[in-house]
Amino acid sequence: MSLFMKRNKPGVVFNTQILWRLNSTVAENKDEEEFRVLDILKKKDSRQKRIVRRAEVAPDRAEKMPTDQNWGNVWPGPRSFHPSSVPLPIRQGYVPKGQVPPGKKANAELMKIPNFLHLTPPVIKRQCEAIRKFCTEWPKLLNSEEAIDKHYPVEIITSDYCHASPTIRNPMARVVTLRIKLANLDLDKHAKDKFLRLVGDRYDEKTDLVTLTADRCPLRKQNLDYVNYLLTAAYHEAWTVEEWEKEKMEDDMEYYVWDNNQSKRNLIDWYHRVSGTEQVLSDEEYRNYDISSIPHAKEYKEAVSNLFNEGESEETIEKYGGTVRKLLGLPERTV
Amino acid sequence: MYSNIVIQRQWARLAGLFRTLSSLEGQKLPVGRKSIDGISPPVRISRSSTDILQALAATVGVDPTAPHFKYHDDPFLIPQSNYRKRAYALSAEAGRKAASWIRDEQSQLFTTREWDPPMKMKTPYHNADPPIDAFNPRPIYNDESKVTEEDLLYTIQNALLEDAIRVYQLLSASEGVNDDLKLALLQLLCFYNEKEPIAAEWLEERWFAAATRERQATTWRLGGLADKIFSAMDPKTPEAYCTVIQGMAKYYQAERAHALAQEAMEKGIPLSTSVYNALLSCVGFLKEGTTLRIEALKALLSQMNEQGISPNSDTLTSCLKSISAWGGGKALQTFALQIVAEFKQLNIQPGLSAYYYLLCLFCKERGPRIDVLTTILNDLEGRDSLEPTDAMDTHFFITAMGVCSEHLQNIDLADRVHALLMKDDNYRLVGDAYKESIYYRHLVSVACRHAPFEKTAQLLDTLIPNIYVPEPSVMEEIIKTLELAGAGDRLAEVWSQLVVFGLAKRVKLVERLLDALCNCYTYQDEEIKEKIRSAAADMLKFGQMVQEQNEPESRTPIQKLSASALTNIIELCADVKDKADESWEVVGEALARLRSEQASGLPSRPEVISSVAKKAATYGKPGLAATAVTYLAECGFEEATTACVETLGVMLNRPTDEVQTLLREPRSSLESSLHPSALVIAEAFHLAKTGAPIDSSASSESDSETSDDD
Repeated sequence: MSLFMKRNKPGVVFNTQILWRLNSTVAENKDEEEFRVLDILKKKDSRQKRIVRRAEVAPDRAEKMPTDQNWGNVWPGPRSFHPSSVPLPIRQGYVPKGQVPPGKKANAELMKIPNFLHLTPPVIKRQCEAIRKFCTEWPKLLNSEEAIDKHYPVEIITSDYCHASPTIRNPMARVVTLRIKLANLDLDKHAKDKFLRLVGDRYDEKTDLVTLTADRCPLRKQNLDYVNYLLTAAYHEAWTVEEWEKEKMEDDMEYYVWDNNQSKRNLIDWYHRVSGTEQVLSDEEYRNYDISSIPHAKEYKEAVSNLFNEGESEETIEKYGGTVRKLLGLPERTV
Repeated sequence: MYSNIVIQRQWARLAGLFRTLSSLEGQKLPVGRKSIDGISPPVRISRSSTDILQALAATVGVDPTAPHFKYHDDPFLIPQSNYRKRAYALSAEAGRKAASWIRDEQSQLFTTREWDPPMKMKTPYHNADPPIDAFNPRPIYNDESKVTEEDLLYTIQNALLEDAIRVYQLLSASEGVNDDLKLALLQLLCFYNEKEPIAAEWLEERWFAAATRERQATTWRLGGLADKIFSAMDPKTPEAYCTVIQGMAKYYQAERAHALAQEAMEKGIPLSTSVYNALLSCVGFLKEGTTLRIEALKALLSQMNEQGISPNSDTLTSCLKSISAWGGGKALQTFALQIVAEFKQLNIQPGLSAYYYLLCLFCKERGPRIDVLTTILNDLEGRDSLEPTDAMDTHFFITAMGVCSEHLQNIDLADRVHALLMKDDNYRLVGDAYKESIYYRHLVSVACRHAPFEKTAQLLDTLIPNIYVPEPSVMEEIIKTLELAGAGDRLAEVWSQLVVFGLAKRVKLVERLLDALCNCYTYQDEEIKEKIRSAAADMLKFGQMVQEQNEPESRTPIQKLSASALTNIIELCADVKDKADESWEVVGEALARLRSEQASGLPSRPEVISSVAKKAATYGKPGLAATAVTYLAECGFEEATTACVETLGVMLNRPTDEVQTLLREPRSSLESSLHPSALVIAEAFHLAKTGAPIDSSASSESDSETSDDD
């Protein structure tokens, strides 16, 4: 009989079924009758007897989940990973080669990374269906990017922020950005030139976009008004021609215009000399001279302009050389 | 100048055609849902600030495996029993309460911000932007505090009853209170009968508040502050009269309420509909006897008519409340139906609370079975939404389900009631934790009794344990259902459920479960049999563990499993085909307990033990077999002799006659020739036959021998 009792000391883990787990150990001093003595040298074997108490802990709820459940109900919102609620055999973590990454339980690697368990495709679909009733129909004629660009040339970009905090304000929300394609603005050559000088590096040549950003006012509305004002003012200013702008000399030019320069005169003079019809021309006549009558003059003009505007490079120089040979009727360069 | 024209045009274009990525700008053009010209945006569909959130929330359903969201979703922290559910939720709320107490006590920490040196400047601190009132510290009023009328207004508006009374007393001692505030205070006092309500902030406390059914007893505080304020008022306004009469009627001070109403009418003071409603609901306290009461009710109604006051749905509810409180009987029932019909003519639909009173009136325990519920459900299912209007509305669903389960015993109606509760957000009408639990008790028991098994199983899977934890009586019902359906695996799981629900110490339930397990054991699959065996073994160990834990402070006696239950465990665990199986240990343990008289009563099926003894002998467990037959012999069962002979036969591998002759030999010769265990069996045989051991001195000796040998 005593034997039967012996085998059933507390703390025996039951065999086949997980009914509950052991989770805490409680120290208990058996001989409370005795006066306790400080045992410095540990003479007596006074190791405290540990009694294991078990609390009833149910198995993971992931084990009870049916396979056809609606995952959106289980994981409705963003949340850090929890192993007992996710019925997936996930592993994560760096281990030396040949070992298996640790499983999902007590795995900090899985908890650290943001997960998208709340945004599975069926859930996204369902949510879209739910908020569809708040959406209006898309205007029919705005059916392409080009149409949108044409009818809505001005783009205003703002950001809204959402926090888990009692305040709903975010200072970044005041920033307003206005974008417009330069081609959509009605500008002539002078105005365009002046506009670009005014906006400076806010113009991006690659995309042809002018981007104006305002964050100097405390409210979004004020910043919005301000970017509108900036665009309007720059536009106005681009169209006005000041008196002093007429004083602009060849040296003030920001780029090389072949028609205004000596190169054209030389070409025309040379042409006339060669064709034997030398004549004296005024500045105006030089400028408006139609060079299409001169063979290869167009190519020459381009080559010279490029050489000045883009700077000396192997390509431009080579091109210049080639056109000059053509112009003078010399054979192609052979290396 | 050319620029003027161009810029005007451009400006107009810019202004009109702003396209925004944020939602608000650029949607101001008033056009229909579709864009008029195909280019400009259509008008925005108006929505409130939370509409989208609500639409998204509506896509999320219930997850039966998850606990309520107020608990942590972690196996160690998910409460599995009713006690734990309550304790966990209330503990969390106690923490919140402590925090709010500190916030109130140390309010300066939360209203001002102290800057770092050099200036040590203090500025007001805002906890939220825009400010949230609920986060602000509550003012604390004591006898020294300087109060103004604004404080009184604040306390009244926030229903801080005790504070309001204190502020009122302070104010009236110093400067007096104006009449409007006095009236407001009177209304507050009358509504709550001068008892501080649980603040709406403490959801859990309200949810778990002991929902004892409120007694219909006079609880109105006579001569309380409300009475004093009212009698001190001069002139007494109609509002004051209405307030006091309603308060008295609400707390069943019927006679004074009616007397005051009479007084008011004599003075020509007009009374409101709600005053009449309140009077109607307590009219029964004035008269004795059904007929007199009915007459009084009718008189009051006709008085309303004379005064030109039109009734509303609360009037109907009040009438039915009165009638249902007067007992049952044909007369009252027909009268109630008449009233309902008359109100229907006035186009007043009965609300949920009216239907609750009707159910109370018609579906009495031990009364005749009357099916009013079907009609009621037909009406309610036809309505768009069920808006709670009366505090008693929360009683409807629990009563309806109770009627389904106990009065009508109809699963179809129960299904309909449940579907109605689950529709839209009708679930808020379930009331509180207590009502919810009773509701599910009724639902589960009616499903267990009357629904097909698959449906019941599905219902149990969704409800238990996160929504509802069954009480012992319901658990018994469930065990019975599972036994009838022969669901062995579910029965084996029931044991672990009993443990986590904290019901495993209830011996009656465990015994019932063991019976059920034994009854459906034979036709289960091998795998399930294995599960059942381990469950049975576990029951035995659990009993022992409880005993050991409780030993130091055994104030309450621990109930022990009965002998029949132990026999059941023995029967289940002995069904193994292997000598080395651990189940034999369990069998031994159970037998030992039987022998040492730790079990109450005698086993109802001793034949089980004899067959186990034989089986143990077959599998080479002579010690077990010996213990078994000795127990049988000691208890004086008839089966003991045959069991001894057969077991010995198996053990010695000899036919029965030979064993019989062997047993007739004297003890001394047996002692030398037989194995100690066999010797014990021989002794048991003699005990069973003669009622006394062969040699009383030798008996105990050999007993200990056997144990050691095993």
